[in-house]
Parts: sequence; structure tokens; C-alpha cells
Amino acid sequence: MRRLPFIALVLLFALPFVYFGVAAFADQWRFPALWPPGWTLQHWAALGGGQWGQSAGLSLSLALLTGGIATALGFWTAHGLSQSKHARRWLLWAYFPYAFSPVIYAHGLKFFFNSAQLAGQFPGVLLGQLILCYPFAVLFFFSHFDQRLREMEALSYTLGAGPRAVWWRVLLPVSRPALLLCFFQIFLISWFDYGLSSVIGLGQVRTLTVAVYQYIMEANAGLAAVSACLLCLPPLVLLWVNQGFLQKKVEI
Amino acid sequence: MLQINNINKAFGTTRVLQNISLELPKGETLAVLGRSGCGKTTLLKIIAGLLPADAGEILQNDQRQNELPPQRRNAVYLYQEALLFPHLNVWENIAFGLRLRKTPENELKNRVEALLVHLGLQAEARRMPQALSGGQKQRVAFGRAIIIEPQVLLLDEPFGALDPETRSQMQDFYQKTAEQLQLSAVFVTHDLKEALRMGTRWAYLDQGQLQTYPTREAFVRDPKTGIEQEIEFWKNV
Repeated sequence: MRRLPFIALVLLFALPFVYFGVAAFADQWRFPALWPPGWTLQHWAALGGGQWGQSAGLSLSLALLTGGIATALGFWTAHGLSQSKHARRWLLWAYFPYAFSPVIYAHGLKFFFNSAQLAGQFPGVLLGQLILCYPFAVLFFFSHFDQRLREMEALSYTLGAGPRAVWWRVLLPVSRPALLLCFFQIFLISWFDYGLSSVIGLGQVRTLTVAVYQYIMEANAGLAAVSACLLCLPPLVLLWVNQGFLQKKVEI
Repeated sequence: MLQINNINKAFGTTRVLQNISLELPKGETLAVLGRSGCGKTTLLKIIAGLLPADAGEILQNDQRQNELPPQRRNAVYLYQEALLFPHLNVWENIAFGLRLRKTPENELKNRVEALLVHLGLQAEARRMPQALSGGQKQRVAFGRAIIIEPQVLLLDEPFGALDPETRSQMQDFYQKTAEQLQLSAVFVTHDLKEALRMGTRWAYLDQGQLQTYPTREAFVRDPKTGIEQEIEFWKNV
């Protein structure tokens, strides 16, 4: 009986994934049937088509670039803020993009993206995601640069380290777990983003999330389930790769 | 020799240091006693180059230091916390300053090994900082500082976070090492006993003004330091 809440929680999390798995192999599964009448690989056969690879490649490139650029810029900016007398005042700007929902924010920016001919383009979607993820990284790292890390940096200078050595030999290695964690989180934000990608991408930048939505609109549950399975794959791989460090407390 | 002439520092309208002057010959430890918030840390940070002075001059061996960045002053600042680099083991923490100076590998190895013996940390050489006790961490921090033979050590209540027994051991250790290696240091503390024990020279910092004393007796006799009151208290217990 004591295990019941735990089992309920596992089921709650696992159920959507189980559903995607079943639906991706189901043949002619229609309401009100509770279980598919048969199985097929035909949805997966569609993976051989060029569109899938293109969508997966687009999503992966976007997530890797957004994660890498936002993490690097956020770390650098938060370090600068931590040295500033008016850090809190500057930090307020980082909250600004979160005053609206991402979709409304994207609609607000659409005019500028159209004017700059970035709407419907990969660089436009990348820029749109960076506008949201860069402040996230700044907020993430601002608390990382606490008094202890600032004192460690100052001590390194007095030991004879120049600014470059302080970055490469102290700040970056000491912050490795935090950098990985931030990259991982931004990767997921970008990977699963639909609203901003579809508004700024105008449906022409066909990431996996955009593809899933299009299949759902076409009532093609099988292809939507295959896309959803593909969507889950990289985060699961990342989770598996990073499980050791995610279980560790991020500390310096 | 470290020489400080008329250092002033204000934060906004608050004057933290006022016309601070002192001299510290090689091999001496100046113990600076003062309450929390009296400007002790600001003084050390200015000497280290971590904060600019508003006015005044800092000289080391007659060379003006004011315009030099901290990494070129050869003045190591030690905090209350050991602040060991968590990604490096004990050996690499101690070797840090020598690696920055591109010391040849053979010489580096010999110096680190010799210092580990002196610090009594040979057995811990390959351990990570997280696996050390508070006293061991402070010894590593101390080793990391002295291996680069700094002109002056700036000690900001370095044993303040230790338990009384470990603190006493570290005080003994510091005294022996400072004497043996002829270290020059400014040691700030709010602990009377520690100031008396660690210093070979003494000063009292209060409301941004530094009073230096020619002898230990003069330091003890000054009612401002509170040492005589403390002695009276223990006599009457």
C-alpha cells in the first residue's frame, strides 16, 4: 500500500510515453477501441523520407546552437553582472522577455523579423529562441556567481593568474556542472519549442514539434506518434549521458 | 619591505579608511586587530590590488604598486575560507601558482613534494578538497600561497572558521612556517589572543584609522585594544 503513490506517479509520467510507443506501431487504431487491433511498421517506414531527416536535423541544429550560444553568452554576462555595483538593476532586464507568453512575445517581434527578412528562416527562429533563452541563462548563472566564486576568482588573481588564466583554469572548470546543466535545460527548451518556432518560422522552418502539430492537424495519429517518439529520443539520451552529474549537487 | 603611505578609501559618503600608513619589514607579521566592519578587509584588498585606493601610495621594495593589477603584485590574499579549487586535487592546488609561472616540471615536482612534507600532507596529495578536514584545507590553501614565495601574505582572519583546537594548531603551524621561511604578512583578526600570538608587530584599526605600536607592551597597554580589560576579567574569574 505504501508503494501505491510511487506507482501512481511512475504511471502518470510513463503513460504518455507508453501511448506514443503503442500508437507509433498501431494499425487502424480508432476510438473507441482501447487497444490497437493490429500492428504495423508503416509509420516508421515514412522515416526514410527526406522530410523527417530534415526536421530532426533542423531541431537538433537549433537546440545545439541555442543551447551553446545562450549558455556561453549567459555565463559571460552573468559574470560581468556579478562584478557590477548595480547588478540587480541590470538583472531586471533579463526578466523582461518573460513578462508575456512566448507566443505573444513572438507575435510582437514578428514585425521586426519580417522587416529584417528573418521570418520563415532558420536564423530568424534561432534568434527568436535566443531572445528567450539568453536571459534565462543570465538568470541561471547570476546566482551561480555567488560571493564564494567571486572570492575564488579574486584569490586566483592574487596567486598570479591573469584574466585569461582565471577563465580557463578556474571559472570554466569550476563551473562545468552548472554549464552542462544550463546547456541541457536550454537544449530542452529549444527542442520542445513550438509556439515561437511556428510564429517566427511561419511553418516554413519545419522543426519536429512543428511537424508533430501538422500531423495532428491532418489527423495522422500514427505519424504524429512517430514524431513524438523521435522528439523524446535526444532528451532521453542526454538524460542518460548526464545522469551522473545531474544526480550530483551542483556546488563549488 | 611593504610600505603604505596615507591610504584613503570611501564608499559613497562613508569614509572606510583614513590616512592609513604602515611599514612592514621582511620576515615580520603585522597583526591588525579590529572589530567587524572597521575596514580591515578593505585595507587588505587595497594592498592586494583588488580594490583601488582613493588616495595614497603602496610601495613594495620602494616600487610603487598602485597601478599594478593584482596578478603582478606578488601579494597573496587568503580568506577565512580555504577556497581550494574543487576540480583540482591537493597536489594540483598547491602547484597552481607554479604552473601559472610555467615552472619546469622537475622543479615544480620537487617544490610541491617538499612543501607537502612541510605541510604534513603527503598522504593527502591525491585527495580532492571535498575529502579534507577544515584544518587540512587551510594548510593546503596556505601551501598554495607560500609556494610562489609572495612578497607579502594578506591574511583575512584565515583561521576564523576553524574549531578552537584546529585553530590553535594552525596558529602554531603559521608561527613556525613564518619564522622558518621569513614570511612577511599582514594578519587581520578580531581575536585579541590571536593578534598577540601571530604578530611580531601590532596595530589597531578603528573607524578607518590605524594606530601602530612600537612594542607589544604598548599594544597591550592601550585601553582601546581591550586587552587589559580581558586580562582583568580572567584574573577575577
